[in-house]
Amino acid sequence: MWSRWFVEARCIAAALVLAAAAGAATRPHYGGTLRVETRQAPPSPEVLGTPKGFALSIWETGRRAVFTADDNAAGGRPFLETVEIQMARSLRDQSVDLELGKADVVELGPNELRRLGPGRTVWSSSPVRLMALVFGPRVGDAHVREALALAVDRTAIHSVLLQRQGEISGALLPQWLTGYAFLFSSSADVPRARALVAGLPAAARSLTLAAEDPSARAIADRISVNARDAGLMVSVVPPAGNADVRLVEARIPFADTPHALASVAAALGLNEPPRAASPEEWYAAERSLLEGFRAIPLFQLPDVYGAAPRVRGGPGITPLGEWRFDSLWVEGP
Amino acid sequence: MTFRTRLLLIFAVAVAAAVGMVELVVSSRAREAFESNEAHRVNAIVKQFDKEFQRRGEEIVSTVEGVAASATARDIAISPNASDYVEQAGALASTNRLDLLELVAGDGAIVSSAQWPARFGYKEEWLTGEPDWQSRGAFLRREELPDGAALALVAVRTLAYEDRKLFIAGGRTLDREFIASLVLPEGMRVLLYRNLDPAFSPGELIDASGPIPSGALLRPLIEQVKKQRREVLGTLGKGAAAETFHALPLNGDRNNLLGVLLIGSSRRDLVELEATMLRTAVLVAVTGILMAIVLSWWATARITRPVQRLAESAGRVAAGNWGATVEVAGNDEIGQLARAFNRMTHELVEQRERLVQAERVAAWRELARRLAHELKNPLFPLQITVENMQRARATRPEQFDEVFREGTSTLLAELSNLKQIIGRFSDFARMPAPDMQTVNLNELVGETMRLVEAQLSKAGIRASAQLDARLRPVEADPEQLTRVLRNLVLNAVDAMPEGGTLTVRTVNLPMGARLEVSDTGLGLTPEECQRLFTPYYTTKTHGTGLGLAIVQSVVSDHKGRISVESEKGKGTTFRIDLG
Repeated sequence: MWSRWFVEARCIAAALVLAAAAGAATRPHYGGTLRVETRQAPPSPEVLGTPKGFALSIWETGRRAVFTADDNAAGGRPFLETVEIQMARSLRDQSVDLELGKADVVELGPNELRRLGPGRTVWSSSPVRLMALVFGPRVGDAHVREALALAVDRTAIHSVLLQRQGEISGALLPQWLTGYAFLFSSSADVPRARALVAGLPAAARSLTLAAEDPSARAIADRISVNARDAGLMVSVVPPAGNADVRLVEARIPFADTPHALASVAAALGLNEPPRAASPEEWYAAERSLLEGFRAIPLFQLPDVYGAAPRVRGGPGITPLGEWRFDSLWVEGP
Repeated sequence: MTFRTRLLLIFAVAVAAAVGMVELVVSSRAREAFESNEAHRVNAIVKQFDKEFQRRGEEIVSTVEGVAASATARDIAISPNASDYVEQAGALASTNRLDLLELVAGDGAIVSSAQWPARFGYKEEWLTGEPDWQSRGAFLRREELPDGAALALVAVRTLAYEDRKLFIAGGRTLDREFIASLVLPEGMRVLLYRNLDPAFSPGELIDASGPIPSGALLRPLIEQVKKQRREVLGTLGKGAAAETFHALPLNGDRNNLLGVLLIGSSRRDLVELEATMLRTAVLVAVTGILMAIVLSWWATARITRPVQRLAESAGRVAAGNWGATVEVAGNDEIGQLARAFNRMTHELVEQRERLVQAERVAAWRELARRLAHELKNPLFPLQITVENMQRARATRPEQFDEVFREGTSTLLAELSNLKQIIGRFSDFARMPAPDMQTVNLNELVGETMRLVEAQLSKAGIRASAQLDARLRPVEADPEQLTRVLRNLVLNAVDAMPEGGTLTVRTVNLPMGARLEVSDTGLGLTPEECQRLFTPYYTTKTHGTGLGLAIVQSVVSDHKGRISVESEKGKGTTFRIDLG
């Protein structure tokens, strides 16, 4: 009987300790290091960007950057002591590191998002990355470019490979930014695509496609399959400067349409859009950029991050995908 | 060709033919045995292939059933959102060591594809068409891959959950690894042609080490199988490099030709065996021919020597030695022939003696007849004259002197005639031996022609001498030769009573000279030509019939040859060849 009483007393004590610990964990506190991983390996700290409320303390090009909390930050000192960023980490590695507790905040691709374990927090921005096909100068026949634009089944890619992240788009800028993106057609029309290239010689119908981001290789493969239905022979090749078509991503760094359009056009190698002051003119400018099918917008994608359970105070990103680590704190060591 | 050569040839041909026949039969038997053995080996490989095919098929079926029974497959079948499982096929295929694995929804849309992940969402109509996959084994199928098509052994199983259905189609490609698993006897190889394109593609022809470099050579055979859809046999290459291929069609699930299995068997062993046999046959044939030569020498020594002796004896008979005989050795056919030959020559000698005797009698008779005829003519006037003289003496004595004078004159004339006749006979009987000298035949002809010139002119005959300037001097008796020529010329004159042309021609011969005397007279019949040189034979109303006999005798004494050519009504040519 004594022993039973002793066991029950131990259980009650343990429950009280856990309850006390849980109450302490929900409260912000200073200190700790946030371990962040990213695919990018920018050449300079400026390109990487400095999280708000922190100052760069260590920079190892292409590998690691450490930011320390700025005591004199405008919004007050961040809770975190340091933010350590590991660069050039593949999405797969980042996901594994998150699972193993080696990283606190990682980027998530669609596949990683699908495999994400329980208890992980996901932060998603608005669609701020344009995924598009960009033709090189060798593909001179507009029919071939248009045929590829009509062959791509964006819906299947969006629902399966992108796990419905972001949105399907035929426009350079996202719907949330312009309000007219839905006017740009994004639907596939394989019979028309086939008709466009029906009379062309095999050489003209053969293209090479390079995905700049290895994680987009599956999308490139799918585009190749779609292209085959239209009579185009698209071979997916490793990223190189001489591919006929490139599957690229362009970030939308501004929340105002004219600047965003100019930035995206420059990123895709398109002409500078004409100056415009009204939504009608912005639409016309964007329409003119897309004429000739030099660039084929496919999707508007958000930035998605996964955070470990010990990270609190999120979300750690803004709707434009910028880091907001000043409001975060971490539990435990 | 001599009998010996012929015999040698017959022996050689007989030996060569016999050896050739033996070689042919042995080669044929060897080839049959080789081909029978090859057929057994091919059958064994085909069985092995079928067995391996079946084993792999069962393995694939078992694996696919395992996949269908897995929790992952069940989750996919249950899940309303198939897009979450787009990568599952790859993982499952890797775990289960399958080259191909597709998870296909009930409507035929690919949920996940291991071999071509980017094809998710595409429809696999062939899967939904089959009502019962559970009872079907593995089958051959053409599978589309990102970098082309592949030939694969595939099995399909289904997984049902409430109204949802999931097809699991898994398999392994039929590649060089599959071929490498076959155990092949020495000298054989197995090739697989994957019939994935309508046109022949050499790169699709593989063996255990991958695509073969000389694939295009097998194209006709493969095209034949594609056309006929049955096993085809063909041989490629020549000599020791030759290889026989058994090409078998490999059909797919819809009886479509998806591949051709080629079982190649090197003919090197057969060719080497045949070469060895040929070498042996040649050796035997050469030995046989050498033996044939020896045998033929021996046989001809036994057979042809008596025959040769017979031939020599026959030659002697032909040369005039009718009494020639042959030594009789043995009692065989040759011995019988020799006996017959000896009998024949003996008979010939006897018959010749009888003939000579008969001819001699006939000649005497002919001589007597001629003499009687020749002497009768002058005797009759003699008798008349004497009777006249007797009658005149008795009845008219006053005229006797005159009759006597005339009678004696006639008697003397007729006696002279008789003397002349006897002289001619005497001349023929006493033909002297020729006094051989170097004679210029052209000059002799010229002189003779001058002597008879007046006579020819009187007979109205035009004489023509065609003398060969190249004519060499000949050894002859000029007097006898002049007599011959004169005789022939006078004969010609007699043959042209109405006149004509006499041509005397000399011709230089390689071994002597030719003298020709031609007339344009009455000519002779063939029968007359045959008897022309017979003594006392004449076609004229006068003459003794000895002229041409004398001519022939003189020519014969000069070792020459005389011949005559004549055509009735056109003339006659006498031709004398002198050595």
